[in-house]
Amino acid sequence: MKAQSSLGVVFFPAFDWAIHPLHPEREERLLYTLDQLNEEGIFDVEGITQYKPGLATLEDIMRTHFCFPDVSSVTTESHLISAGGTIKAAALVLDKIVNKSFALVRPPGHHAMKVVHGARGFCNINIEAVMVEYIRENYPVKKIAIVDTDCHHGDGTQDIYWHDKDILYISLHQDGRTLYPGTGAIHELGGPNALGTTINIPLPPNTSDEGFLMAMKRVVLPILKDFNPDIIINSAGQDNHYSDPITNMNFSASGYAQLTDMLNADIAVLEGGYSIQGALPYVNLGITLAMAGLDYSYVHEPDYAIKDLTQDREITKYIKKLCDKVLQRYEECKKPSFKLMPGNYDVRKKEIYYDTDNIHEMQLESIMVCDQCRGVLKIETTSSVNPLCLGIEIPSGACDQCINEGYRLLDHALAGNRYKYVQLIDRINKKYVMY
Amino acid sequence: MYLGLDVGGTHTDTVIIGNSGVIAKSKIATTHDNLLSCITDSFSAVLANVDPSQIQRVNLSTTLTTNAIIQNKCEKVGMFVSGGPGIHPASYSIGNFYYIIDGQIDHRGTEITLLNLKQLDKAIKKCKKKGIKVYAVISKFSTRNPEHEQLIAQKLGDVDFISVGHKISGNLNFPRRIATAYYNTAVWRLYNSFSYAVAESLRAWGVTAPVNILKADGGTIPLHISQTMPVESILSGPAASVIGTMALCNITEDAVMLDIGGTTCDIALFADGAPLIEKDGICIDDRNTLVRSLKTKSIGIGGDSVIKINGTTVTTGPERLGMSMAEGGNNPTIIDALNVLKTINFMDTSRSMEGLLALGKKYRLSVDDIANAAITYAMDVIYNEVMAMIEEVNARPVYTIYEFLQGKVIKPKTIYLIGGPAKTLSNLIARRFGLNVKVPQHCQVANAIGAAVARTTVEIELFADTQRCRLLIPNLEVNTRIPAGYTLDNAIDDAKNYMIQYLTTLGVDEKEREIEIVDTYSFNMVKGFETVGKNIRVRCQVKPGILHQCKDILKI
Repeated sequence: MKAQSSLGVVFFPAFDWAIHPLHPEREERLLYTLDQLNEEGIFDVEGITQYKPGLATLEDIMRTHFCFPDVSSVTTESHLISAGGTIKAAALVLDKIVNKSFALVRPPGHHAMKVVHGARGFCNINIEAVMVEYIRENYPVKKIAIVDTDCHHGDGTQDIYWHDKDILYISLHQDGRTLYPGTGAIHELGGPNALGTTINIPLPPNTSDEGFLMAMKRVVLPILKDFNPDIIINSAGQDNHYSDPITNMNFSASGYAQLTDMLNADIAVLEGGYSIQGALPYVNLGITLAMAGLDYSYVHEPDYAIKDLTQDREITKYIKKLCDKVLQRYEECKKPSFKLMPGNYDVRKKEIYYDTDNIHEMQLESIMVCDQCRGVLKIETTSSVNPLCLGIEIPSGACDQCINEGYRLLDHALAGNRYKYVQLIDRINKKYVMY
Repeated sequence: MYLGLDVGGTHTDTVIIGNSGVIAKSKIATTHDNLLSCITDSFSAVLANVDPSQIQRVNLSTTLTTNAIIQNKCEKVGMFVSGGPGIHPASYSIGNFYYIIDGQIDHRGTEITLLNLKQLDKAIKKCKKKGIKVYAVISKFSTRNPEHEQLIAQKLGDVDFISVGHKISGNLNFPRRIATAYYNTAVWRLYNSFSYAVAESLRAWGVTAPVNILKADGGTIPLHISQTMPVESILSGPAASVIGTMALCNITEDAVMLDIGGTTCDIALFADGAPLIEKDGICIDDRNTLVRSLKTKSIGIGGDSVIKINGTTVTTGPERLGMSMAEGGNNPTIIDALNVLKTINFMDTSRSMEGLLALGKKYRLSVDDIANAAITYAMDVIYNEVMAMIEEVNARPVYTIYEFLQGKVIKPKTIYLIGGPAKTLSNLIARRFGLNVKVPQHCQVANAIGAAVARTTVEIELFADTQRCRLLIPNLEVNTRIPAGYTLDNAIDDAKNYMIQYLTTLGVDEKEREIEIVDTYSFNMVKGFETVGKNIRVRCQVKPGILHQCKDILKI
């Protein structure tokens, strides 16, 4: 057997790490996936190669996140290896060692936001975002699309790229009114400098293969085509599966494989997925085969034949309408709309709950409205574990005005004693400092 | 006394090791059409002046099965394969009589669909009608539940031979299990008639010692075991050299072994003195197998590699077009380059000079430049291949944070050089690698010495599922009940005990039963928010090495 498209699989199951021995995010999670891949002889297939992750550096994390009080307080080695796995996956593709790559790593990351005080939704640092920022720092890549097919809305990834018009974030997920974290409604479309580069498709419970593939065909693929990214990343969460214990969808391994085939992502990253025996072995196999351009038509769960996964007609009708509405909202973003005059801050107040670590955070996020660049970002944050802290980000491609504004904010913050910790992300001078 | 024999591509080497070290050795040409002939001739050569009754152990490394597979001199095999969720088993079709039987077992060993007995009966009838007498039976995840394989074997009834997948190895890998079982059956008849003949010939010489066969992992198995597992005898040649090097040098550090012959250079690596083992198994005839093997790599650079010039670029290898000019060949080779530079003084040096002069004239290059460039090129190829192999080993995947952070990194300190041109190349190799090079005594028959002193090796994987109260050691055919409270410590004890039992049945001396636990895992299996059992895996082995008695003789 020979892969049509060479594939690097960065596999790291962290067999000695768990959030808690009985937690879904535990040692056993990728055990049966490894058994299945080994029994299939997947790493003997010509063109499919297994790789070891790297270790993400302090700089890799500080380039992406504001971690308070510091990176080492909110991460463990497992997080740095998991993020290092995505970096390895990216490097394999961008160095043209393989055509595509799949980071089959844990723990996941898509609920980790720009500011990190601890773990939420089993995530500490956002492993896709760390990868995206690594790519932008080291390769001449500008436009990146992230398609998140995890069942939970990737509120962390959305938060990080809310103001970034060069990153298109599309999420297909179970409607937030019925599942954690609750966000991801269709009207969430991005900040004033990046309207229309955040797209949410909240699918109703019991959506089957038919509904997912319809949303892919009608919404995801056309918007991707329109955006024309240099690289496509799939946040390949696997908890839409009909057997997942913590969600309510009816997606199958075969559906995941077809979606992977349609999306044709350059890099896939494992996110959630907690049906570790009944789904993950088959979904991961399906994704691997589809990415390598191999036949996946015999990949079915053992109980697939006896399950009735036909989608209810009402659900089909609802999804059709939903697709139209999302597309309509997307088109509206292209029209001129009211926004603040350049040179002013657009301010959001956010309350964030960290379910995994039980932390409450209050945030005041200000973005400079700018028609030259992505705009300087300022976040004031306080939480049940940290006093008031400040994060300042001068984005890549920042205009002179935004650079100067960033340093003015820094000088001002350091002159006073309002903030316990201040972190600067200066992408122009590659300066990532915690004061 | 220990007799070791290694049938190589060119020569068959034999030694007898006695109390004073190597007491007899022979090197004769291999007779590929009739291996038995060069083997019995070798016995004659070394046994002439020794008392055959004093031989304690005979170890043989032969190319019989390897050649049969590569030259496709195989018997037709009835293949019965049953799949399961995943890649379709038709993708691994091998031979002309490959039958897929419906039936599925999943990764936990749960039977998902029953074996289709109607289909099976039909396939069996077809095979028997076609006169097929030997079979291989493989089901997916049979190392987690061997029932389907056992049922098919039972239905096949009275046939000459059946290879059953789970008995080959405890490892997961369906395609490799299929290929390995196929080859095991395909060479069975040929191997058995050969092995009986060898045993007969030894008896005729008055040798009553147990006879063992060398495997690619550098260990041996008793002849009678190899008669049902003939595939274990493939590609044992490089392993013989590795074990031989270990026997001749006391290796305790990270090191590289280079066995430079006429056509090829074999590379092997040592970590803290132990030879590295290939993760899954060896590849033969473009098929991956589950036959355990040392990690070795063969590259096309040797003493007889032809010197080639393209414009002003001088290269050599991988072709060999006969011998060097010094030995009467028609094309200048590395040996000739060494002759010209006076690094060696080998046979007819004037012919070497003649050959390089002709090349020089044709491409307007000086003889010294060509010779130097060719040797530099050869050294570079060897160096780069060794470095790539080390890099690959150091980059091999690990699955725990502990291994990720604490994992062993190989950094060789010494190069052990054996083979024909070893001595003459040692300075060049030392300079290229910037490392200490050692060339052991008797290095021309290191392979036969390796065969003579190799100990018996076994690897098992124990798999315990306490939710189902089931313990399996597939290749020992252990399939038994365990209590729900079974622990990892119990599993380690059981693995060792079953291993000792098995080694005893193999007749392995108590001193040679050094069991090493390679990997242990114990996972909590959780359903909802409750632990429902443990999934335990223990892998242990007797690792390849040298018989203790021989260590005393060889003083290592």
